[in-house]
Amino acid sequence: MIVADILLDALFAAVAAIGFGAISDPPMRAFPRIAALAAVGHALRFGLMRYAEADIASASFVAAFAIGMGSLWLGRGIRCPMTVLYIPALLPMVPGIYAYKTVFSLIMFLQSLERADEGMRFMQQFFLNATVSLSVIGLLAAGATLPIFLFNRRAFSMTRRKRS
Amino acid sequence: MKTKRELTDILGFVAEYATYQLGSGVHTSRVVRNARRIGEALGVDVRLSSFQKSTILTVLDSETGEAETRVVAIPALPISFERNSDLSALSWDALDEALPLDEIRRRYRALVEKPRMDPIFTLLVVGLANASFCRLFGGDWTAVGIVFTATLVGFAVKQRMTAHGINHFLVFVASAFVASLCATAALRFDCTAEIALATSPLFLVPGVPLINGVIDIVEGHVLIGVSRLVNAMLLVVCIAVGLSATLLMVKDSLL
Repeated sequence: MIVADILLDALFAAVAAIGFGAISDPPMRAFPRIAALAAVGHALRFGLMRYAEADIASASFVAAFAIGMGSLWLGRGIRCPMTVLYIPALLPMVPGIYAYKTVFSLIMFLQSLERADEGMRFMQQFFLNATVSLSVIGLLAAGATLPIFLFNRRAFSMTRRKRS
Repeated sequence: MKTKRELTDILGFVAEYATYQLGSGVHTSRVVRNARRIGEALGVDVRLSSFQKSTILTVLDSETGEAETRVVAIPALPISFERNSDLSALSWDALDEALPLDEIRRRYRALVEKPRMDPIFTLLVVGLANASFCRLFGGDWTAVGIVFTATLVGFAVKQRMTAHGINHFLVFVASAFVASLCATAALRFDCTAEIALATSPLFLVPGVPLINGVIDIVEGHVLIGVSRLVNAMLLVVCIAVGLSATLLMVKDSLL
């Protein structure tokens, strides 16, 4: 059952990455690799959170780092810069529910200005959800960018035909 | 050694090449490296610094000491990863094959005139993507179906409004509103309506400027990085405004 759960998670992440990637007009040759990176990254985060009890922020960072390293490895063969592969692959990890709850609790706070304790509850939810959303998005970007700094010679010559 | 005319020609091309990339969502340090590489291939030194709306370029012939500088506006183009890859590859080809300016320019024209992805195909895959996203968040199959439909409508609104050249902030507010309004259909069924509502406007999340902003800042291009992030945050606020309009209508069914 564990394997089936993880595989399903990977499958849906791959479809989501292909679709969100299509908005930014990637080269056709990049789609299979974007899908593979998103599947591995999201399944890794899912596994870490479900079975290793990691929190969403650190699990996202680890998964984003894996996606970044993967794009360094896979981009060379199809002459694509790392960002072309990893930005679409990161999108399925955007913390959408937290972002939604941030907006929802802000609205509910503004609707309950007259009732102080209810208002405080919504304000608390607003900060909780906003903090999680911002940390996860920041860590996703940082985790995937880290390999560029670790291996900058390789990262800067991904689109070169001649092997240096 | 370059004549004044040759130097002006090179500057004209590099300016167009660099601003095209900045306009289509390439992070700053890559544009700088690509432009300098093209300069190296043509035997001149290229220096550039960029803001959100304009770029300052200098081309220097180190043999004669002659230099020319220009300030160029960055065009607002749709984001394109294909052009990002192709134009980066062009700079390496120019250097490795020692291409002359005319040949580089010919290849550049061919690359930027390549057709973009078919809008109907994009619409369908975006619908599928957002539906999968709903499933990832734990939505049931009814919610997945509703999110698919809501995304098709919302993304079609975005495509049509963008094609009419309407201000992109308004486009984001309207698309988020329409997509989430369609997703409120889920409230009439026994399903995970809140997840459907939460997922429906997420196809609008400006992932590329957000991540480019972070990359620019950590690579030291702080000014343009912050500008990109401010722009991306404004778009996120627009999504929130569109979603709020829907939520204000249905909030009582959600509590």
